[in-house]
Amino acid sequence: MSQLTQAIVEVLERLKSLTEEMERLKRYVTALEEENIRLKRELCAIPEQETERVQQNAERLQGVGHENLAKLYQEGFHVCHLHFGQPLEAGDCLFCTAFLRKD
Amino acid sequence: MKVHCSKDSLLTGVNTVQKAVSSKNTLPILQSISLKAEGQKLIFTATDLEIGIRCEVPAQTEIEGTVVLPAKLFTDIVRKLPDTTISLSSQEESIHLFYYNSEILLKGYDQDEFPLLPDLLDPTIFSLPTNLFRKMIHETVFACGSEENRPVFSGLLLEIDHQNLRLIATDTHRLAYRLAEIPNPDEIKFSGIIPSKTMSEIYRLLKEDDETLAIRFNDAQVSFQFGSVHLISRLIEGQFPNYKQVIPQTCETKVYLSVRDFMESVERASLLARDSSAGASIVRLSIKDNIIHLDHTTEIGRIAEQIYMEKEGNDLNISFNSKFILDVLRVIDAEEILFELSGPQGAAVIRNIQDRNYIYLLLPVRTY
Repeated sequence: MSQLTQAIVEVLERLKSLTEEMERLKRYVTALEEENIRLKRELCAIPEQETERVQQNAERLQGVGHENLAKLYQEGFHVCHLHFGQPLEAGDCLFCTAFLRKD
Repeated sequence: MKVHCSKDSLLTGVNTVQKAVSSKNTLPILQSISLKAEGQKLIFTATDLEIGIRCEVPAQTEIEGTVVLPAKLFTDIVRKLPDTTISLSSQEESIHLFYYNSEILLKGYDQDEFPLLPDLLDPTIFSLPTNLFRKMIHETVFACGSEENRPVFSGLLLEIDHQNLRLIATDTHRLAYRLAEIPNPDEIKFSGIIPSKTMSEIYRLLKEDDETLAIRFNDAQVSFQFGSVHLISRLIEGQFPNYKQVIPQTCETKVYLSVRDFMESVERASLLARDSSAGASIVRLSIKDNIIHLDHTTEIGRIAEQIYMEKEGNDLNISFNSKFILDVLRVIDAEEILFELSGPQGAAVIRNIQDRNYIYLLLPVRTY
């Protein structure tokens, strides 16, 4: 009988700890949702000019990245994700050329 | 074991399973063939643990049993046997072959050491017409790579989804793609990389009178059953690269060419164009108006060929590894091809004009 009582006490303790954990998670989710709403508001507040500037900068960086990859390939290294950085052996690679063409 | 069968049946058995015998000297038992007499048939089995082949031939069995024999020696003996009925009688691990008034004794191995061919667990089963599959293998398998450090390229990607069956092979310098439409009432889906050795064996063993090929597969293995042959193979682990992004959607030049004229010219040009330093034979094509000029001068001589063709788009100078061109021209089932080119460094596409389900991609060599 004492063993059963002990087991029930243990189950109750676990339930209590789970309930506390659930409460903590609930508070965390609420905080995240509030932060998300705040960030969305801030994002909408960024002027169009700023968005354009960021986009242009991203495009420029992408262009530079592409040029660097093309240069790396011309120097004889794979730029495809299969063998990135490995030396080109026995000629050009279909996957590298397709990657550079696609970009 | 005591069994009687014809020399031809023995020869069929050893020839069928021969390619599954291990060529490496790791385990002697893998360099052997198992012979099992059961019912009115003699079952030949060989495996190198990557591929396993089982073949049944008709025989008259007096006493059922199994022997395991050294593959090369047994095959050589069978080839030299006279065309008559051969009686095989085993005694422990040895076998006696009787023909006319003669006898050969051959020592074998412990049959318990011979690995069993695994049965696929929970396989999905799919059936195909053999002629179609054989043609698909023929048109693609040559484009596989042979490098062991990049295993995914040493196999062919087999894809089944909806009514589409696809076989794709690439060594990263070229790519062969074959699509076929097939009935798939059970909506079976499969995608796996099958070793090129396995596919070459299926191509070799499939006969025109084998009507249907049954394919069974699970996550790690695939098996093929046709006629009296059962072949099981492991699948190659790894992710096959996204081949769809490699196929160009546009081109700058379209050339319509006779397969025969092009092949003969490239064959002649490649004889003189052998570049000993690169180890490859390069052919230079100058595409101008409606003529392709193959012009090549080397230390040993000069060749100047002209091929008449139809062209759409820009003139172009471009070079290719002649092997990459000849490989496809030798297997393509067409009289005329469409050669799509995208500048001297862009991937070129060869299409079968009569069958748009076949595509072959190859990269030019940078010489211009």
